[in-house]
Amino acid sequence: MAIATAQELSRLLARVAQRDRNAFADVYRATSAKLYGIVLRILKRRDVADEVLQEVYVKIWDRAADFDPKIASPITWMATIARNRALDEVRRKRPESIEDYPELLDVQSGEESALAAVMRGEDGQRLTDCLSRLEEPKRQMVLLAYCDGLSRDELSAKYGQPANTIKTWLRRSLAQLKGCLGS
Amino acid sequence: MNEHDDIDGLASEYVLGTLPADERASVAARRQREPALNAAIASWERRLSPLNNAISEIAPPADTFAKVEARLRTRASTRNANVIDLTRSMKRWRAIALTTSALAASLILTLGALQFAPKPKTNNLVAVLQKDAASPAFLVTVNVDDRVMTVRPVAAKHEAGKSFELWIIHDSLGKPKSLGVIDETQPTRGPTLANYKTDVIEGSTYAVTLEPEGGSPSGDPTGPVVFAGKMIGASDF
Repeated sequence: MAIATAQELSRLLARVAQRDRNAFADVYRATSAKLYGIVLRILKRRDVADEVLQEVYVKIWDRAADFDPKIASPITWMATIARNRALDEVRRKRPESIEDYPELLDVQSGEESALAAVMRGEDGQRLTDCLSRLEEPKRQMVLLAYCDGLSRDELSAKYGQPANTIKTWLRRSLAQLKGCLGS
Repeated sequence: MNEHDDIDGLASEYVLGTLPADERASVAARRQREPALNAAIASWERRLSPLNNAISEIAPPADTFAKVEARLRTRASTRNANVIDLTRSMKRWRAIALTTSALAASLILTLGALQFAPKPKTNNLVAVLQKDAASPAFLVTVNVDDRVMTVRPVAAKHEAGKSFELWIIHDSLGKPKSLGVIDETQPTRGPTLANYKTDVIEGSTYAVTLEPEGGSPSGDPTGPVVFAGKMIGASDF
């Protein structure tokens, strides 16, 4: 079962909350490639990403009882746990130069197809539409921050702007997104 | 910029992931006690979550799930997550203990009747190790004459991959001293207290911690105390 519906995943998580190890294995099978993609993209190093992914699933096991389908979809809930853990890990290290990750500079080339994937679903279409109204390079900064885990300092180095300017741009861009989304 | 804008701006950048480590940690702590900030973060998580679809799925190494299961079996129980897990386990144990507390009470009475009443001069000490008054888990009896200690399980429930370890705690001893791993299915009996003085045995607190299988790897308690109690002299019984 590579792809489970939100409803199926919610039911499985409810069973995980009851300490059902078979359900936990099903949740893992249905979501691990997605979560590994998220943590590896942020962390870049497979050895670190492997460890973090294990910790993420331990957290999912521990917190399954806290999952509330009324607040978030199961995959959003799990992806948030994965992103937060990966970001905590990547921020803990000394900021590294963008040149250490030349592949990041190529993100733009694949960006359009990536955004096509975002458009799946109504919320995704609205977000894509609103993102397209952001000026470049602000739109690209938002994507590099969210998807690739770039920090203010890393964005500052990449775009040759002071970190405070980056902070202002990001917050304004996000406020603009929120206004456009209308919720 | 009003306060609401500030909270929302902070929440937006927290979810975007661009906050420096110290600010990130500060927001993570604040959201626990600031419902407005927590709600703003949840809204941003929802707003930006379609971006997760832009990230390619990548299959993790084949042995990852086995490693997750191994972590769940052996993780150090001092970690936060584990304390939460343990709290849940405690609720289960408590529920079981409640149903067996009548049994436990009669067991104490029986012990009293069998061990103390017929032999009033035997110098026995008893400790009921429990989480609270309703849930005795182990009974420790010590024959002070030969220092043989018997630990009887009452309502302790086995946790997969974990062992219960008994500790003696007394000011004169410094750190808690291990009295060994105790069995939750049958009495554990031995001259474990042979080297302790009577007044120490009488005045000590006895605590059970949940440790990795086979007992604490370091020789010091690593898990939280799950049951504890003090000795009651036979005459007090």
